[in-house]
Amino acid sequence: MTVTSTPLKEQPGRAVDVASSPRRLRRSASTRRDRLVAALGLLALIGVVIDVWLGLWVTPPDQTLGNLVRLLYIHPALAWVMYIAYGIAFLSSILYLWPRTRSPRFDHLAGAAAEVGVVFTGLTLVTGSIWGRPTWGTWWTWDPLLTTTALLFVLYLGYLAVRRVPGDPATRAKRSAVAALVAFIDVPVVYFSVLWWRSLHQLPTVDDPVTGKTYVHGSMAWTLLLSFVSFSLVFLWLLIHRYRLSLLAEKESDELLAIAMAERRGEVAR
Amino acid sequence: MSAYIDAGYVVALGTLAVYGSTLVARERAARRRIEAATRPTGEELADDDPSRVEAVPGPITDAR
Amino acid sequence: MWRDALLVAGKDLRVELRSRVALAEVAPFALVVLVLFGLALGPDRSVLQNVATGLFWVAALLATVLAVQRSFAIEAADDARDGLRLSGLDPAGVFAGKGLAIAAQLVVIEIVLAVVAALLFDVHLSGGLTLIAICVAATTGLVAVGTVYGAVAARARVRETLLPLLFLPVVAPVLLAAVKASKAALAGTPSHGYGWLELLGVFAVVYVAVGAVAFGPLVED
Repeated sequence: MTVTSTPLKEQPGRAVDVASSPRRLRRSASTRRDRLVAALGLLALIGVVIDVWLGLWVTPPDQTLGNLVRLLYIHPALAWVMYIAYGIAFLSSILYLWPRTRSPRFDHLAGAAAEVGVVFTGLTLVTGSIWGRPTWGTWWTWDPLLTTTALLFVLYLGYLAVRRVPGDPATRAKRSAVAALVAFIDVPVVYFSVLWWRSLHQLPTVDDPVTGKTYVHGSMAWTLLLSFVSFSLVFLWLLIHRYRLSLLAEKESDELLAIAMAERRGEVAR
Repeated sequence: MSAYIDAGYVVALGTLAVYGSTLVARERAARRRIEAATRPTGEELADDDPSRVEAVPGPITDAR
Repeated sequence: MWRDALLVAGKDLRVELRSRVALAEVAPFALVVLVLFGLALGPDRSVLQNVATGLFWVAALLATVLAVQRSFAIEAADDARDGLRLSGLDPAGVFAGKGLAIAAQLVVIEIVLAVVAALLFDVHLSGGLTLIAICVAATTGLVAVGTVYGAVAARARVRETLLPLLFLPVVAPVLLAAVKASKAALAGTPSHGYGWLELLGVFAVVYVAVGAVAFGPLVED
């Protein structure tokens, strides 16, 4: 079955109540929402641009880390957003599992949050690795935070894999929610166990750049704060779009199914 | 050393930008597809709604 | 709930006794893993002695994956899973029952693994009581997570590839803790490992609770 996109005028014999008011109201409400989201995106973009400008040019190099400190204006913010994303996925999953608040929207939200979270996790790993390379000469140090992040990355890749298992949406949603639950509870466990695992071997002179004792002051502090705010806005914008995409995808498959069924009915009637 | 920093910024911001634009593009495409699919039948009208007009053979139902 | 648990556990163990899959396939698999690691990392005896506990626990983790897959594959035939659901058994009981059965198989496998690892890697097994405690705590945690994820992945055609991906990252802390604690026990200073043992205990308790609660929605369908 191919669905062609022909304008309303050219379709013979079709009568659609174009001026039906519920549809028009809904459309204006959604464009208002769209404008808000677009404004959010613009704000996020501006925030990031200012952050980059401050980070790369305005702020001074650090005494110990030199110019490498400039990654401070991206890396921690990315990590922070990652935790927020997984937190949202967790809360959403719980709301879905709780019978009184069970709604497919929470399932979609959890999936969207997790996917965006995985993107940010990957970026946290990359920026963390880049930060470590000039300092230690290797692309990977088994630094506790970086190792935790690596485990979280794989953890949530697994969650996304569960979401891709084909099946009836309610079952899949329930399974995904349980998987999210198990995964998120593991986050603090992983964090602490890796931290202890590393601290046993920590040599007193080792001062990893990620949690290093850099004295952050003045313009650096403001830029750092700005980075958290702007990347959070970016996350929010991405989350909204990913969530919408998820809803649209389901709606699309529902519509295609409805069309197929209507056609079948038409065939039978003829 | 500055090459590393630049690389970090480019990778991070670039990835987010690419991801964001693919999301928006996919969203638009999905919306277009849904509009095309629902225009002939009228999405909010129920099956036995009296104001619903029976579909006459046209480009959409004939296309296979 | 306990009655249901024992019922399910009894059924699973009876299936195992009759088919002997854990004994004939999972345990040898774990042993093969040990030997392969020996080949890959050896033959320097000092290196192997150092990594022996790590290898043991990695092999145990992989064996858990197989055991869990086997446990849920049992019900794939003849729609036995629907039978389980319709039987009205308490989901927490089903969770505990399947978990107990898997744990029983794993304990046997671990004992075999320990003996063979000690032989292959020239390790002297000492610190008995602590080692037993470590094994009990670690196995409980592993089995709890495995049973939940087994149910999540059950009936999915990609079960074989999905389950390891889901399971292994979650139990990474168990691996860390068990290896550290075992090393301390074997080195004759078990008290160094008590912190890790606590972690294992907490992990086990938390995930048994999570599993018991989460099994409800998974089974209700």
